[in-house]
Amino acid sequence: MKILEDALKRNAKTLSEYGSKQLLAEYKIPVTKEQVAKTADEAVAMASEIGYPVVLKGSGEELSHKTELNLIALDLADEKSVREAFQELTSNPKADVKEVLIQQMVKGDREFVVGLTRDPQFGPCVMFGLGGIFTEILEDVAFRVAPLTRWDAMDMMNDIRGKKILDAFRGKPAVDREALADILLAVGQIGTDHDQVNEIDINPLKLINGKPIAVDALVVLGSEEK
Amino acid sequence: MNSVDLDKLFNPRNIALVGASGNPAKWGHIILLNILKGNYPGTVYPVNLKEEAILGYKCYPSVGDIPDTVDLAMLTTPSHLVPSLIEECGKKNIPFVIVITSDFSETGPEGAELEREVVEIGRRYGVRIVGPNTMGIFSSKSNLHALMPPVMPLNGSVSMFSQSGNVGVQMLSWGTEEGVGFEKFVSSGNEGDLTCVDYLSYLSRDEATRVILAYLEGIDPGADLFPVAREVSRIKPILVFKGGRTEAGGKAAASHSGAMAGETRIYRAAFIQSGMIEVKTSQALMDCAKAFSNYPIPMGKRVGIITRGGGWGVITADFCEENGLIVPPLPMDIIDKFDKLLPKYWSRSNPVDLVATIAYDPYLECLEILTEWEGIDAIIALGAGIRVPEYKYSKEVKGPKELMNTIDFLTKMMKERAKKPDKMLESMGALVKRSGKPIIGVAIGAEATHKMNLERFQVVSYPTPERGVRVLRQMYKYRRFLNSPSTT
Repeated sequence: MKILEDALKRNAKTLSEYGSKQLLAEYKIPVTKEQVAKTADEAVAMASEIGYPVVLKGSGEELSHKTELNLIALDLADEKSVREAFQELTSNPKADVKEVLIQQMVKGDREFVVGLTRDPQFGPCVMFGLGGIFTEILEDVAFRVAPLTRWDAMDMMNDIRGKKILDAFRGKPAVDREALADILLAVGQIGTDHDQVNEIDINPLKLINGKPIAVDALVVLGSEEK
Repeated sequence: MNSVDLDKLFNPRNIALVGASGNPAKWGHIILLNILKGNYPGTVYPVNLKEEAILGYKCYPSVGDIPDTVDLAMLTTPSHLVPSLIEECGKKNIPFVIVITSDFSETGPEGAELEREVVEIGRRYGVRIVGPNTMGIFSSKSNLHALMPPVMPLNGSVSMFSQSGNVGVQMLSWGTEEGVGFEKFVSSGNEGDLTCVDYLSYLSRDEATRVILAYLEGIDPGADLFPVAREVSRIKPILVFKGGRTEAGGKAAASHSGAMAGETRIYRAAFIQSGMIEVKTSQALMDCAKAFSNYPIPMGKRVGIITRGGGWGVITADFCEENGLIVPPLPMDIIDKFDKLLPKYWSRSNPVDLVATIAYDPYLECLEILTEWEGIDAIIALGAGIRVPEYKYSKEVKGPKELMNTIDFLTKMMKERAKKPDKMLESMGALVKRSGKPIIGVAIGAEATHKMNLERFQVVSYPTPERGVRVLRQMYKYRRFLNSPSTT
């Protein structure tokens, strides 16, 4: 896969958020609409194409802790705020931001995490659980060894303590479990297909009318190419 | 599943014990004695260079001198002698050798090198090796107690392989107190040659084995234990207790997924995906072995509870719900049936509270109604099988004739009543067979009672409701696996 080969040639340790989502999209995982802008004018053009409101994020392979570095501007509703945010991100003293990701703003009411890890014994394993800040606080996650069957995927959704979050609540529809299962299977498939992909975090995975969509993603590459 | 035929290992016509000793403090003596006192029907050939005979059995200077083909050899000699002895066994065409001797790969690189040499020699001659560093094997069918400790397990349908000899043999011995009987056992030792995968495959085809127990610590990454287990679990349940649950978490991981993937979590996933039923305590392993080997697997997770008094019923219902089981409400037709048997003020709900009805007959009739109710898959019978205690009073008590007569009367009545539970347990055992629904008995305390309930009446019971509920949860988990689509 070209995006992986290119990154490995550059000795990159991770894919950028944009690159990570391109890889996910290859496997039919729904991702946010987004493009990379090099200038404020490009940013404005892309924002109107994607549709307001948008999110701006500093983009690059080295930028994997964007919240901590203040490299995210959320919920920008018009051209003026896009220009301001672009200016601010590219002049951040803590990071060398050359490109900015212009992204569809997904509000979403629930956040999940879907991940991939490699176990020395079992090889690629898929993770599913509560996302956002709760991932680290509650560690409410379940694993399955890849390749997963559809039954495994459905079963692991019920394997977290907070499984009720998958059901309809407060007027919001239940998670489309089949669509979520597709994502879990696809992430396992990426792990089985590409030895160079060491880890994946999709966090958060949000819901639009019950349909899951990857809002942020990180692909960590292996140190050795096979 | 392609697997090694271990029939000659577990059912050998004869055994050569190399390193047999006249010294009662040596394993070469103790193991020989264990085999003989267990009434092994085949021939035992002690092999010892110097002795004429041990325990009255003629010794042979080497396996080569034994005047018959030999099915199984056991070695208890020092480790440096093992390579040449395996070679002798190979030349004698002995198919299986149990290497009791330790000081191999478990002690370091030198031992590992020696182990490789031993296995290599075995391969050359087609000798398959159990161990090294094993505590031996047991086979109920062949009355074979080829074990280091003098354990005499009960005969039954549970078979076990254990990566710890001690954990394994103590489960065998504990089983004698719980009424849990074993069919085959192997302490797999260092698994230099034969591995847990070989034992698992063999036991899956062994008709006398109904349930497989596994104590695991480490699994060779190259071994296909899990794919094999996934197939075996379709045939019979595998109960697994994993030791060494250390967290390799916090390892150098760049993502959250990596940081949270401790060994325990991944093993747990692998057990679930292969249908293995993981238990977290030795007690749970024994409790589950008992129920899985004696009772049918419930079709679902709906539980009926019957109790003689409120509190225990409440505790049990709570614990069922907390463990993912369902305690459904009673439908009208069932309530009608109970109305005819019970006092007006009975609970009219599940748990079915008999409100201090002391007699056994209504209890049994209620139990029967529950088994016929299609809305449940299993039953927990609280207070079933309680042994009626003798009537206790202070031996110094003196008083009017009326008091003393009443005490006398109650003493006799309790003695008479103590015979009744037998009839009740007998009927309970029959109800399980007839309905195909497990009825888990609970009688608080009294461990000895539970063994008797099982051995005499095939009734599985526990001293606390919580233990019974946990067992039902595990049985339901296994049912779920059986109901999941098979992918292979």
